[in-house]
Amino acid sequence: MRILIVEDDAETSGFVARGLSELGHQVATSADGRDGLFQATDGRFDALVVDRMLPGLDGLALIKALRATGNATPALMLTAVGGIVDRVEGLESGADDYLVKPFAFSELAARVHALGRRPTVQTEANLLVVGGIELDLHRRTVTRQGRRVTVQPREFALLAELMRNPRRVMTRTMLLERVWDFDFDPKTNIVETHLSRLRSKLNAGFDEDAIETVRGAGYMIRSV
Amino acid sequence: MLRRLWSSTFGVVALVALAFAAATLGIGMVAHDVTHEALEQQLDHRAAVETRALMHEASEGGIKAVAATLRARAAGRSTSSLDYLLVDGSGRRLAGTMTALMPIREGYEEFFRFRRGGYEGVGQALTTVLKGGTLVVVADRNELYAIDRTLQRLFAGALAAVLALGIGAAAIIALLTRRRLARIDSTALAIIGGDLARRVPRDGSGSEFDRLAATLNRMLDRIGTLMDNLRQVSSDVAHDLRTPLTRLYSFLERASADQAVDRREALEAARVQAAELLELFAALLRITEIEGLAERRSLAPVDLSALLDEMADTYRPDFEAGGRQLDTAIVTDLKVYGDRRLLAQAVSNLLENTLRHTPEGTRAMLSAVVKDGSVEVALEDDGPGVAPADAARLFQRFARADAARTTPGHGLGLALVKAVAVGHGGDAVIGAPRSGFGVRLWIPLAR
Repeated sequence: MRILIVEDDAETSGFVARGLSELGHQVATSADGRDGLFQATDGRFDALVVDRMLPGLDGLALIKALRATGNATPALMLTAVGGIVDRVEGLESGADDYLVKPFAFSELAARVHALGRRPTVQTEANLLVVGGIELDLHRRTVTRQGRRVTVQPREFALLAELMRNPRRVMTRTMLLERVWDFDFDPKTNIVETHLSRLRSKLNAGFDEDAIETVRGAGYMIRSV
Repeated sequence: MLRRLWSSTFGVVALVALAFAAATLGIGMVAHDVTHEALEQQLDHRAAVETRALMHEASEGGIKAVAATLRARAAGRSTSSLDYLLVDGSGRRLAGTMTALMPIREGYEEFFRFRRGGYEGVGQALTTVLKGGTLVVVADRNELYAIDRTLQRLFAGALAAVLALGIGAAAIIALLTRRRLARIDSTALAIIGGDLARRVPRDGSGSEFDRLAATLNRMLDRIGTLMDNLRQVSSDVAHDLRTPLTRLYSFLERASADQAVDRREALEAARVQAAELLELFAALLRITEIEGLAERRSLAPVDLSALLDEMADTYRPDFEAGGRQLDTAIVTDLKVYGDRRLLAQAVSNLLENTLRHTPEGTRAMLSAVVKDGSVEVALEDDGPGVAPADAARLFQRFARADAARTTPGHGLGLALVKAVAVGHGGDAVIGAPRSGFGVRLWIPLAR
């Protein structure tokens, strides 16, 4: 992927750029808003990582301006403030995702990854099929190799989120946000608890684990 | 200048007084003119009536009869009488009470100067030509002038009284206002000077100034509470940060030692410490944000019943894994107006509190009912509970029951619960059931 990082803090910018390059992405950086907007307008990028506070032109204005030109390059906004209002403003400005500093690099990488391959138009299919698992969003049923699996509502939502993102690592925080709508980090490992329940239900009678744990990063539905 | 005058109490009252004075002056001038005009007409009328009577005599008895009548009039003259002059065709005086000091012309003369004995006066004259002579009838204006002067004196007096009263009232009102404001002013100055406990003295009269003083005092009390809170938080933060920072420092020191054998473990431990510190900051900032009510924008209708059910479902596996039980009694369809995520976090904090501070086998009950226009959410357990002394301060930041000192946590969980409830226009209390621990919070129902 070609990724543009617009971040004025050289340390953060370098750390993110290095990490993403190591993962095999082509990374460009910009240290101020105006230059960032100029580079982003080229439209040659697959994803943008934009800091909220920037000299010249702040992150919100940058993304607003970019969207105004019809450029829909997916953008992840970074911010030092985790206020609810800030999050709402960030997403309203046209950013696709929002990450509060400080963050673990694995979290950022997973989110950038998820952004880059996000289809431009999200069509909500009623039936999700990944690696032998079928999930019917309408009838709210789950089968694995045709065998019916009974799950709780939260487990269903969790599985649906994993299946909507095949071949993508979903981090704990992403799952908390998308399945539980939590913007805070609970002390209890509710994601782990629900995942292990879901996993044991899905795997009953099968040799292969349906959900892969990516150490230090998150979870991914097994697609083959 | 006018604007500056307008902005002071004295100025306002003085300007109003000046306006009244101007109105008085205007009324006086109009009244004077109208009266003056009416009196002039009256004088003309008197001269005309007299002239008509004398003409009648002239037509009957000729000019001699007129002269005789005039002589009779002169004998019985009084102060308010008219003055006369009768001359013959050649201008010789035939009879009369005065002599003209200016040429005689036929018709009305408004300012006719004449002499009667040693008195020189001005009058309104009507000069008529008769057969064989000319008759002048003069009404002295003296009377008119006297009435004019009386009127002028009257209105000047009224004007002076209005002005004096107005300026006096302005001065008194200004003095009273200034004196009352001076109390507020001196209190404010004392507070600026550092005496934060000072309050505006009240006279208990319930007047607008007294009410203002009460409002200001309440504001000062509120600020005082916030200041105390802030001071408390600052010292708590400083205190509570020292422990994890010291640990972080020692882990890093160990990791950077030349002969470090457990560098990896030390670094991991340092990372965990740093994460804990960040979490503490996040929780503090979050509470501050909620208390600042900066979140109004994100408020929306929330189905609290559904949210509570979801939260119970989310945490039940963890309750069961720890050998605990979580029951619910949630009335359906309870709608509130609020921030879904904040409410979720508050409930999450309560449930995690139970998970963390109760022994295995504890039964907890999450309930929601309507009470006085609010949803009453309660989480109660039959665990060991807390000492009453602790219960009172558990909502404070960094407050932790003594028994909980050994378990992880930063003592901000319940502070956040309280902040969320208050931020939604509700409240939260520690309401321990017979045995065990309980928290109840109220969130106003959506209208």
